[in-house]
Amino acid sequence: MKNPRKKFTPWLYNLPAFLLIGVVVLFPILYTGYISFTNMNLYHWQDYTFIGADNYVRALGKMNSDFFAAFWTTVGWTIANMTLDVGIAYILAAGLNAEGLRARRIYKTLIIFPWAMPAYVSILAWRVGMYNTEFGLLNKILVAAGFEKMNFLSKNGPAFLSCMVLNLWMSLPYMIVMFDGALQSIDRSMYESAVLDGAGTWQKNLYITLPSLRKVMAPVVIMTTFTTFKQFDIVYLLTMQKGSVSGSTMQTIITYAHQNAFVSNNYGLSSAVSIVIFVIIIVFSAWTNRAAKET
Amino acid sequence: MTQNNGISWSVKKRIQITGLNLFYICICFLGLVPILYVLLLSVSGGGGALMTGLSIFPEKFTLDNYRRIIVEEPFLRWLANSIVLSVGTMIIAMGTSVLSSYAFSRFRFTGKTAFMQILLLLNAFPQILSMFAIFRLFRLMNLLDSHGGLIFVYAGSMCIFSIWNMKGYFDSIPIEIEEAARIDGAGNVQLIAKIVLPLARPAIIVTAVMVLIFVWNEYLFATTFMLKEESYTLAGGLYQLQANDYSRSWPLFSAAAILVSVPILVIFFCFQKYMVSGLTAGGVKG
Repeated sequence: MKNPRKKFTPWLYNLPAFLLIGVVVLFPILYTGYISFTNMNLYHWQDYTFIGADNYVRALGKMNSDFFAAFWTTVGWTIANMTLDVGIAYILAAGLNAEGLRARRIYKTLIIFPWAMPAYVSILAWRVGMYNTEFGLLNKILVAAGFEKMNFLSKNGPAFLSCMVLNLWMSLPYMIVMFDGALQSIDRSMYESAVLDGAGTWQKNLYITLPSLRKVMAPVVIMTTFTTFKQFDIVYLLTMQKGSVSGSTMQTIITYAHQNAFVSNNYGLSSAVSIVIFVIIIVFSAWTNRAAKET
Repeated sequence: MTQNNGISWSVKKRIQITGLNLFYICICFLGLVPILYVLLLSVSGGGGALMTGLSIFPEKFTLDNYRRIIVEEPFLRWLANSIVLSVGTMIIAMGTSVLSSYAFSRFRFTGKTAFMQILLLLNAFPQILSMFAIFRLFRLMNLLDSHGGLIFVYAGSMCIFSIWNMKGYFDSIPIEIEEAARIDGAGNVQLIAKIVLPLARPAIIVTAVMVLIFVWNEYLFATTFMLKEESYTLAGGLYQLQANDYSRSWPLFSAAAILVSVPILVIFFCFQKYMVSGLTAGGVKG
């Protein structure tokens, strides 16, 4: 630290980014917190007053049934998706790296396609092309095979599974590509010396592959967990979009908050719900952080 | 005897590989079916024959749907908006985040770890939840319906992702290279422009492509904050199309969907070779 200017250099470099994030990300969150203590709604757009913690009392009071249902759906959604995502991606990536598979480049390019498609295009394409009762491919196949038509999105259970299949279809390519890259980054010579030391397939997997994968994959898996947790588009576009409500009442906490904010027009209350969800996310991320450090 | 063993081993191996090939052909096919189906829909005449019948293949091939989308809808207008928004967002997000991620990687300063954690937390916050607050602020500042305002909202949220993604890559570049350049008399600006940016190219390219794709695909803010049809982006316009007029004409929607996806597919596959190394924080050299 000979040069006193050096002390300010990092702040100088960070200033533009911090200003930007402060204004468009942090400030709206704080403002949401501010609104949550007022009675702002459609009729009190300008002349709102402070009503203290009333919205929180109402928000938490409402949380007995609907909110908790949404909350547990979100938890189940995240766990189920991440388990399958990581598991299937690992198997497929490992298979791609099998010795002697010459066409692997072609497979990789084809597998990537769903990742490159715009998400909402994929979702709408699935809603019409796959799940729709009249035009959907799945129902055409069902009918051709002599079964009854089925409405995939009208009941909560099938809707959950349909959303999950779509989510996996959209997120697997990224996971496979990452696993594939991570697998290729492992030093081959480690396996050779392990074989010389008499290690079998299982031991090679357990003591070389998994530890090497962990370092590269941990950030990828954590980031994907967050994306899965706050997934909104799939559930919203498949089941609850204006004009094509499918009949399922499945909600995640994000769609729940969105519905509260834009359907009820009670902005104070919906802001309180948003803040409560933010607190849940903070707890959740602290927990994933600890889990990541322990592994 | 060894000869015999060798042959049976290679036969077994060949069967295994064939099985694996079949498996991956099925996987690829399953993965592509929804996209192929949309493609088929888009070239089929608007009729109900395809829709209700059991047949999957269209009876006649036509590009009329594409023509109608380009001519009858403000498609080119939306395309221009999408390009303005995504390039604008990319410039602002990358301009701010490259400097910041470099600072996070190379300098020591008070609260560095805390700041990184806060950024991660802000990234975990779904922006939909503060959408109303942003909407109200924009209305107060007369920023609704302006591309500039929307660019800043996009840039702010993508800036966080970019800082995290590129910081990891900067970490993996040996600091000795920079020290050597410094000894040779390179200043701060020179150092970044001539040494750091070229070395971090994969991460910077991939991050920029991710920002571009994000803006190209975003529809919720694009339709909430843009009030006039002519200021929509492609994503916003397509979203409105399916919500209003074309809820019954799926061939038309499919054609629009394909048109919107093609630019992204092209960009994506151009930079595919950088994807892994640019997204795994330098942990993998692709």
